[in-house]
Amino acid sequence: MILRRTQSLCPVCLRRLDATYVYDNQNVALRKTCPDHGSFVVPVWRDAKVQGSAIPAFKIWTRPKSPSYPALPHTEVREGCPFDCGLCPEHGQHTCTGLVEVTLRCDMACPVCYAGAGGMNAPRDPSIADILARLDALQRTSGRCNLQLSGGEPTVREDLPAIIGLSRQHGFGLIQLNTNGLRLAREEGYAETLAQAGLDSVYLQWDGVSDESFRALRGQPCLEFKHHAVEACTRAGLGVVLVATVVRGINERELGDLLRLALRFGPSVRGLHVQPAAFFGRYPWRLAEAPRLTMPDIMAALTNQAPELVRSDHFHPPACEHELCSFSAVYRRTSMDGTPGMEPLGQPAPCCPSVTATAPPPAAEGARAARQFTALHWKGTGKEPALAASLGADSFTRFLAQAGARQRFTLSCMAFQDALSLDVARVRGCCIHVARSDGRLIPFCLHNLTSGDGIRLYGIDT
Amino acid sequence: MSLAPNYGPDQGTWRCGRCQLPLEQIKVPVFYLNSAFDVFLPRCPQCGLSLVPKSLAEGKMREVEALLEDK
Repeated sequence: MILRRTQSLCPVCLRRLDATYVYDNQNVALRKTCPDHGSFVVPVWRDAKVQGSAIPAFKIWTRPKSPSYPALPHTEVREGCPFDCGLCPEHGQHTCTGLVEVTLRCDMACPVCYAGAGGMNAPRDPSIADILARLDALQRTSGRCNLQLSGGEPTVREDLPAIIGLSRQHGFGLIQLNTNGLRLAREEGYAETLAQAGLDSVYLQWDGVSDESFRALRGQPCLEFKHHAVEACTRAGLGVVLVATVVRGINERELGDLLRLALRFGPSVRGLHVQPAAFFGRYPWRLAEAPRLTMPDIMAALTNQAPELVRSDHFHPPACEHELCSFSAVYRRTSMDGTPGMEPLGQPAPCCPSVTATAPPPAAEGARAARQFTALHWKGTGKEPALAASLGADSFTRFLAQAGARQRFTLSCMAFQDALSLDVARVRGCCIHVARSDGRLIPFCLHNLTSGDGIRLYGIDT
Repeated sequence: MSLAPNYGPDQGTWRCGRCQLPLEQIKVPVFYLNSAFDVFLPRCPQCGLSLVPKSLAEGKMREVEALLEDK
């Protein structure tokens, strides 16, 4: 039975193919057939078993949006999605977070790396002038979106504080650093230096609670230095989001304990963000046999492993990106002394078609809310005065802002798309855009996407 | 003199419907997400019924809530 029709890619030759979402045993799968390379099926949604409330069914996990096209498209539509990025005039969502890759060098060489960074042949770092041009292009197209400085490992650049300073001058809402945490942990005062340069938040790669998981995914034990990195960020007033890449059979059983660990750190850790691994860049499996997890698998793991904190009906589909790309929930910490405790905040967003029977809201409205939400919730907890000042604040406003933001904790998941799981409808709704050296903005998954043989859909950005 | 902010009625004089006493500007603890803060609001001196002026509810309080809205 066909549930939905879309288009995808052949994971071998990267040609565009018609694709369908179908029931495959108890799962929903994306199926497609290449005339030259045969049929491919990849699980997208599993009927996972959980304690308490049930995982939402595929059919009701919807959050319709009316497309919001770019005001300033950079490319024309020639070959159609996903070949004309971007953004092209048919892209349906504005930028929530813009990424700038400041290097492809890395001081680790993880067995799993979306960017395939850290090898011997990393291209030369982009110059400051090049980075400035990317920031300008991002600002021109996407205004005051949030910015993530990424790589590679950005902290290998000695001029990172200057890059952060330049980014700050562009007026982006949130300035976040995507990092492995090594330098933050090892160099005294480095976190303060970045905070003084204008950094708000650290997107800290953190996969589990055991060094076995780190050895498998990162090639070395990391727990000790990751702890030091969080402590350094806390001292510097930087917000931290723990970001877990999760692979079936390696670390999905550690998610409950990872959530408890995140809460134990206290309010400087603003959230836990889970990424079921997508298979592009570098990974040690064959694409077709890679150990996949779906979003319902992550919902089930969190719910089953931390039932005292999480229920599956806390999760809602995103207002910003496509509904199959993420879920999230926002909580209030119930303990500020280090014991893990939280309770859900607010009303779950409607994910049922009967509730959203009226015209879908513009996608741009979701992007605006998501930008603002991320900027406020992932900043360090010392930043509320800035929020209050922006409201022309008195002490009561400062109190409201502080009580509102400081105690909050976000639990979120983003499922990236690789050559097997790519769906052009999801790509068109993408709000995470990589700013390239030629001025193009390319959705994150497409920027990184590789065929089963490692051929990039979009060439490496040099 | 207390430094707690003072929010009077938007207009007119208000009286407690239950006690028939005029409301007075009295220090009121406001709880928000388990944190407390003192502000002066119009309050019945007898039963403690408090008035949150419309301008405060629809202004500052709504603005902060909107800023913190879920995505």
